[in-house]
Amino acid sequence: MSRVRLGWWLVAIPMSLLALATIYPLLFTANVAMKTRRDYILDRFSLADTLRWENISTAWNSVGMGRYFVNSLLVVTSSVVLLLLLGSMAGFALSQLRFRGSSALFLGCLAGLFIPFQVIMVPLARIMADTALIDTYPGLVLVYVAQFLPFTVFLMTSYYKGIPPEIIDAARIDGNTVYGVYRRIMLPLGTPALLSVGILNALFCWNDVLMALVMMPSADHRTLMVGVTSLRGQYSDNIPTFASGVLIAAIPVLLVYLFLQRQIADGVAAGSTKG
Amino acid sequence: MPIGNTQPSVRPAQAGRAGGAAATFSVHRGGARPRRAGNGLRAERFAPYVLVAPAVLIIVALRLYPLLLGVNFSFTGDGEQNGTAVGFGNYRELFADPLFRTALGNVGLLVLLLPVAVAIPGLLATFIYLRVPGHRFYRSVYFFPAVLSPVIVGAIFNLLLAFDGPVNAVLGSVGVSPVDWLGDPDVAMFIVVGVHIWATFGMALVVFLAGFATLDAALLDAARVDGASLRQVVWHVIIPSLSRTIQFVFVTTMIGMLTSMFGLLFVMTSGGPEGSTYLPEYYIWIQQGQMNRPALASAASTILFVIMLVVGLLQIKLLERSGRED
Repeated sequence: MSRVRLGWWLVAIPMSLLALATIYPLLFTANVAMKTRRDYILDRFSLADTLRWENISTAWNSVGMGRYFVNSLLVVTSSVVLLLLLGSMAGFALSQLRFRGSSALFLGCLAGLFIPFQVIMVPLARIMADTALIDTYPGLVLVYVAQFLPFTVFLMTSYYKGIPPEIIDAARIDGNTVYGVYRRIMLPLGTPALLSVGILNALFCWNDVLMALVMMPSADHRTLMVGVTSLRGQYSDNIPTFASGVLIAAIPVLLVYLFLQRQIADGVAAGSTKG
Repeated sequence: MPIGNTQPSVRPAQAGRAGGAAATFSVHRGGARPRRAGNGLRAERFAPYVLVAPAVLIIVALRLYPLLLGVNFSFTGDGEQNGTAVGFGNYRELFADPLFRTALGNVGLLVLLLPVAVAIPGLLATFIYLRVPGHRFYRSVYFFPAVLSPVIVGAIFNLLLAFDGPVNAVLGSVGVSPVDWLGDPDVAMFIVVGVHIWATFGMALVVFLAGFATLDAALLDAARVDGASLRQVVWHVIIPSLSRTIQFVFVTTMIGMLTSMFGLLFVMTSGGPEGSTYLPEYYIWIQQGQMNRPALASAASTILFVIMLVVGLLQIKLLERSGRED
């Protein structure tokens, strides 16, 4: 049952075409990754005759995408764990506990939302160099945490505001310390928000290229997205290998999207409606 | 009411409880939240600060402090003059640099294209909200590119738009001569912006749909009973009720255009051809990383920050005004 009658066909045709335009580029890339170089040069559009994995394994092994993949996984996982821990701790305190200066601290965290990385890139690189954190995994993790913490604190605070304070009082009466309340009550109750924010943060960190470029100059520390940028120069004449490298970087995101689309959309929606 | 010494069965290891559980009183004094009185444990009083401290320290040290440092830095010299005050020298140099001027010109282009980048997801969200047949499918398909990295998107479009690539092959089959999509200074920037819009409209779509979820369906039903056309529904019901969401999308889309196109520029054009696809963020990166001009880059950063503040505030002002006229 649609809510307003209109000439559906007028809408459906462009919408379908747009849907096709949205999916096709990735399908094309996946198809190219399965072809031989010769096949690609002869005909760009023909379907690959078989699922051919050698391009993928070339990209994974000799191009080094496998190594970059592990680097990314390491950095992203550490960043997300830290973000969720620090973000939920601060969110709990800022939403449920009363203490002097809490609103000023909340505003301070929020101010970080309006400072893009490009604006502080130069001084931040200098700070990292001065503390010998540049070109190290902890350094990049710290930069990611600083980048996405304001958003995480903001979302966790607004989520925890919805939890009735009576629950916390009851837990206190049962003899829990504030830390006990955080661990036994707030973390379990925060699961849906933590999941949403965690996935969003994982995507942000996974997809980032600028911070990784600036903070990780040396080649063997490259993250996967920086690896993708280096493909063009090296494999511009070997398109199937190039496409395979791109595919390796895209597949994890595609999988996360297929299974957790709802949580991603919820996180985006929460970020917009609470504002 | 005094509570007996109820020991928690599991003691949190990190909580520094001085001795046994002190009697805790819960005193309600009106208001939504009872104030806790009488927990004389110092550790408890400091607990909120302990919980907030790590986040606040990181944000202050790695967000707010660098901002001040960067602004300060933009008034000092590079290279030989490292650390000495040069007043507005860097800014003068920036505005004399044709590359930076191109970057600013491209920001103007983005501002002009902004309504398009907002209208497309807005319109699509409207159709999806009105339950066009297959709306669930459209929703999940459209949202997908938004979670892909700009780097991946850029690489895919490099493949598609290559001079000997599939797009030109299709054009060639219908007799159009091939276009150098990313090599023509008059075309390249539009292509990059177009790809950016293609890749990000799904985000705005989801935001619009979240806004629609707060919309009063009775209004729409009333409009339908009164026989309003789709255009009238959009104009008189949807736009006024969603003014806050529209404002939010305008601001976030603009910020996205100013701060998240680096990946596309880097992969698709590297600022070329002839510097035609420079944006301030790309200029900053080049000056800092390739040209070793950190102070000049800081000045460009400061200008970018000012542009963002001005654009953001202007949009909020304009949209508030148009919202009131309804």
